[in-house]
Amino acid sequence: MSVLMKKNIIQTIIILTAVLVIDIIAALDLIKMHHPDKLYPSDGLSEIQYLSNYNSRLKGGNGDTEIYVFDSGKPGASILLLGGTHPNEPASFLTAALVLENIQVSTGRIFVIPRACNSGFTCTDPFEGCPEYYHIQSKYGERRFRFGSRVSNPLDQWPDPLVYSHFPSGQKLSGFETRNLNRAYPGRENGSFTEKVAYAIMELLKKEKITLAFDLHEAAPEIPIINAIVYHEKCEELALMAVMNLEMKGLNYAPELSPINFHGLSHREWGDYTDAYPFLMETSNPIQGRLRGKTNEDLIRYGKSIQYQQAQETGALRIVYKADTGEPLERRVGRHLQGFKEIISVYNETADTGQMFEFSGLPEYDEIMTNGLKEYFQ
Amino acid sequence: MLYWIYIGIVVIITAIVIAELIDEPKIWNKIAYAMVLLPFILRILQIK
Repeated sequence: MSVLMKKNIIQTIIILTAVLVIDIIAALDLIKMHHPDKLYPSDGLSEIQYLSNYNSRLKGGNGDTEIYVFDSGKPGASILLLGGTHPNEPASFLTAALVLENIQVSTGRIFVIPRACNSGFTCTDPFEGCPEYYHIQSKYGERRFRFGSRVSNPLDQWPDPLVYSHFPSGQKLSGFETRNLNRAYPGRENGSFTEKVAYAIMELLKKEKITLAFDLHEAAPEIPIINAIVYHEKCEELALMAVMNLEMKGLNYAPELSPINFHGLSHREWGDYTDAYPFLMETSNPIQGRLRGKTNEDLIRYGKSIQYQQAQETGALRIVYKADTGEPLERRVGRHLQGFKEIISVYNETADTGQMFEFSGLPEYDEIMTNGLKEYFQ
Repeated sequence: MLYWIYIGIVVIITAIVIAELIDEPKIWNKIAYAMVLLPFILRILQIK
């Protein structure tokens, strides 16, 4: 064997070994994201169901996810609370987690899905440089949660079409949106991966005769629909009453009527296809914004960004943004929780006896701002 | 089915690139092949 050949073989072995080592390290890191964060439901928990109970085609896959059911056993309204439709919106997941770890239901029942788009929790959005995890303090130490992707993992649904044609409206959207759960409703039993998840949620709404349904979200500070409650036209009165009551408590929410011809969204399709009154809530989350600057865990936790302070000074933002307080997770979770509680409270005022939803254990916005999230997580 | 066709294509491309990398005499070209291999092998390691 010539010296040149020997050199070539050694170089090849070294390069292939380096490739394998890098890939194994990266693969282990990526596989770690497939383990869901542990949640500790309150002792009011009745049972844990799975989305596959409503669409068996999800069984055994990444689309299947837990549904935490808290049933008082006393006749009343059935509520659905969805967190994690977009896993890169942590206040959405955390609010659902806080509810399921604290709620005690005395009338009616509630279904809490903290990871609606479970697949999106198994990856992050490419080219965004987002952290994989964030941490919060709890009563018994530090807890770590996944920061995921806006859409389903391409490992579960591939390839994206150039143009996404929504079923059944035929509405055209960018191909990327084909993996967006909140563009997939009402979904199809045997459609794409994301459509199957959407279909299961629709079946839950119908079979469990859900009265009020909440879908929690966050959006970039520069997006017009932030700090808002989006509602279907059939529950306008409820939404406006709740917004007014929240205003009196010093919390401003923009009431936004769901556009009739924008399809695939929860606040549109849940209302059109089921008897539920749907509400979608948005808070302001700087890590989703284009102006965000350094993208790290602190930005998730505290929402402080010099770039957004500058944008606010130039009048480019609709919200008041203060560099000293930022948009911390406490405020975003507190707003979601207060909005959720207020809508239920307004609903109860008009509901017949036997149709109410009564509960305890959930803190007020002011309590979360004073005590932090620590007090409300195990 | 589509999933396994995709994985099959990834495996074939990976094998071809490895063969090219072995035959390639220049070190910088070898490294270039290695850069191409990285995402393909990473994808294969995540089969489920």
